[in-house]
Amino acid sequence: MDFEPRYTEEQQTFRTEVRDWLKDNVPDDLANPADSADTTYDDYLQYRALGRDLGEKGWLWPTAPTEYGGGGLTIDHAIVLDEELDEYSLSLPPYYDSGGRLGGASILVWGDDDQKERFLPPIFKGEVRTWQLLTEPNAGSDLAGVQISAVRDGDDYVINGQKIFVGSSHGAEQYWTITCTDPDGDRHQNLSWFIVPAETPGLTVVPMDLLIAGGEGGAGTGHKNTIFFDNVRVPASNLIGGENNGWQVATTHLELEHGSGGTIRRNRLVDRLFDYARELKRDGQPISKDPEVQELLVDVFVEAEISRLFGLRNYWMRHAHQKLAHEGPQSSYYRKTSGLRMGEAILKILGPYALTDDPKWDKSDSHMEVFQRSSIVALHPGGTAEIQKVIMSRRLGIGRQVREQAGRLA
Amino acid sequence: MDLSLTEQQELLKTTARDFMEREASKDILLELEETESGYSDELWQKASDIGWLGMLVPEQYGGSGSSLTDAAVVYEQMGAGPLSGPFFSSGVLGALTILEAGTEGQRQRYLPSIAVGREIAALALTEPDYGWGPDSVSMRAQPTDNGYVLSGTKLFVHDAASATTLITAVRARGHEGMTLMMVDANTPGVSTRLLSGFMGWVGEVTYDSVEVSADAVLGEPGSAWQPLQRAFQKAIPILCAYQVGGSQAVFDMTLEYSRTRIQFGNPIGRFQRVQDHIVNIINHLDAARWTTYEALWKLDSDRLTDNGVETSIHLAKAVTTEGYYQACNGAHEVHAGIGVMKDYGLTLHTQMSRTLYHYLGDPRFHRKRMAETLDF
Repeated sequence: MDFEPRYTEEQQTFRTEVRDWLKDNVPDDLANPADSADTTYDDYLQYRALGRDLGEKGWLWPTAPTEYGGGGLTIDHAIVLDEELDEYSLSLPPYYDSGGRLGGASILVWGDDDQKERFLPPIFKGEVRTWQLLTEPNAGSDLAGVQISAVRDGDDYVINGQKIFVGSSHGAEQYWTITCTDPDGDRHQNLSWFIVPAETPGLTVVPMDLLIAGGEGGAGTGHKNTIFFDNVRVPASNLIGGENNGWQVATTHLELEHGSGGTIRRNRLVDRLFDYARELKRDGQPISKDPEVQELLVDVFVEAEISRLFGLRNYWMRHAHQKLAHEGPQSSYYRKTSGLRMGEAILKILGPYALTDDPKWDKSDSHMEVFQRSSIVALHPGGTAEIQKVIMSRRLGIGRQVREQAGRLA
Repeated sequence: MDLSLTEQQELLKTTARDFMEREASKDILLELEETESGYSDELWQKASDIGWLGMLVPEQYGGSGSSLTDAAVVYEQMGAGPLSGPFFSSGVLGALTILEAGTEGQRQRYLPSIAVGREIAALALTEPDYGWGPDSVSMRAQPTDNGYVLSGTKLFVHDAASATTLITAVRARGHEGMTLMMVDANTPGVSTRLLSGFMGWVGEVTYDSVEVSADAVLGEPGSAWQPLQRAFQKAIPILCAYQVGGSQAVFDMTLEYSRTRIQFGNPIGRFQRVQDHIVNIINHLDAARWTTYEALWKLDSDRLTDNGVETSIHLAKAVTTEGYYQACNGAHEVHAGIGVMKDYGLTLHTQMSRTLYHYLGDPRFHRKRMAETLDF
């Protein structure tokens, strides 16, 4: 076994190239606030510009196929890129986007040649950013129960309804969504999956007011939105995977969203917490010297290590093309629930310092206060913790009569 | 990065699994549960013949000098039984202690016979004031003209009854630190007694004016603590692998039971309350597995000077010991009545998870050590 990436000479040469490029191309003044809602529009435009520059080099989605605008690089290259961007606290892409990681993966598996050629290059080159529109007021955990309707009309589909918990601040150029095309049809066989250009008439985007916007992994999302569809006309050529086959298309991105992608990143929050506990004093000594605080710090460390190892395992399984079963939702479940436990431990460790981002007294650049909120919000995106357990059980063969297979990945 | 076993390790795993099915089936293990030693001569001989006692003994002393991960792969299969008997005590902890603390002459004297199972070593360290820290040993060794006299009691000694040599931790007069003594179990004045209760093959050893010669001292008097800690570092992840195997077996039997047990017209696995237990068990199991194998990888890839290795070992032990314990608890919740029938086999694991809970330090002990290695 080998738990860390081994670097070949080729990789190290690539690393030098990446490092030099990033030094020249990442703007010095690019802010990376703990709460991504604090990202200004100007900064957002800089992130997008950086994304396009990375896309041009094939580094935005390094392992996506070159014929569709991806980098066509190996996982070894992707690891190097990920590590070097992490040095700037950036990820790929350097802003919230559901196009390359999730929607693009579904299009690669389920789209026809024409659709792949039309939709994938703009995504993989960072020319568009794409949001996922899944949840509805009456379809959260029960995603297959979406009610937004798409009705065929000539060469178009006309979509009416509402999606919530969508996207982030500062807009997007493109959406993908799952709709109901046969209200009387059998469950899972009545849905259809569409690409919807954001400028299509009839779409209204209204920001939501949430405890904090948070998603799973990747760059922060800013705020979430409600999107209303009022007779939105989408060409039938934007239907991916065929009419009433939308659930199948969705299983691909749901699989990835349920944690099967994995990660090799460490949780920097733990280092920040340790530093903070060494700095804060109580009874004349750092609180980190208090045996009870030490117990809590170790609790946080243990949770973070298990989370890291689940992510690492899934990362390896995915890239070594191992057959995944319960591992994706397990990682997601553990991250969500351990996040809540870590939040509680941090609250006990730091006391009221955990709850303030006051620039005079907070010494964590808001990270601790943000985590108190984001660890709560993180419980629902991509399926609640409870839903992750439901999926795990199905994958273990006890949730249903027939054992559920993991969604198809490219 | 590659988290798969090597081809050779896969072979080791298959061989070990086959051996367990053939020689240590549930029925055999239930019979062995009633014995003082936890093994039969026939089983011990066969296991010795396939090299299970010599895996961590270097080739020059008659073993196979396998990597820790290789040994762990085998111990995981043993834990799935769970196979009783002094395999870990002698072949892992005993061998590593002698290797780390012993002189060249002592290695040559003991390791070849341990490697073939002819001699069985057990570590007698803990005492009535139970603990695994440096201050937990207070038994004295009184120097004489040509050796020492040992008097005192060792308590909760694993595999005490089957040991031929008791590696006994003492304070030798005139030496600040801890001393290890190689005490032949047949020496007059040594008596062992198996403890009864919800634990297996753990005993009390009493030393009543036991005379040993000067060369019974393993290495140098007063300097055994550091080498013993090095032996612990390597031995602990192997014990963890054994517990991972146990947790895996408990998970497998619980999952299978939840698929086949029908109540209210449904397999009970269809009930989400039952699924909660099964999800908990596999989360404990997978956390145990990956913390354990990461620690093994760090040790095998010679990251001993790396600041993370000690933390990884403590992490593995804390997570794995807790995991095996909780896996058994979850299994009992799912199995209900049938789980406590001894012939079903679950209780073999339940008792083993308790027996091993404090061995080489309980989860709290290792969490405290983590607070030290993380340098708060």
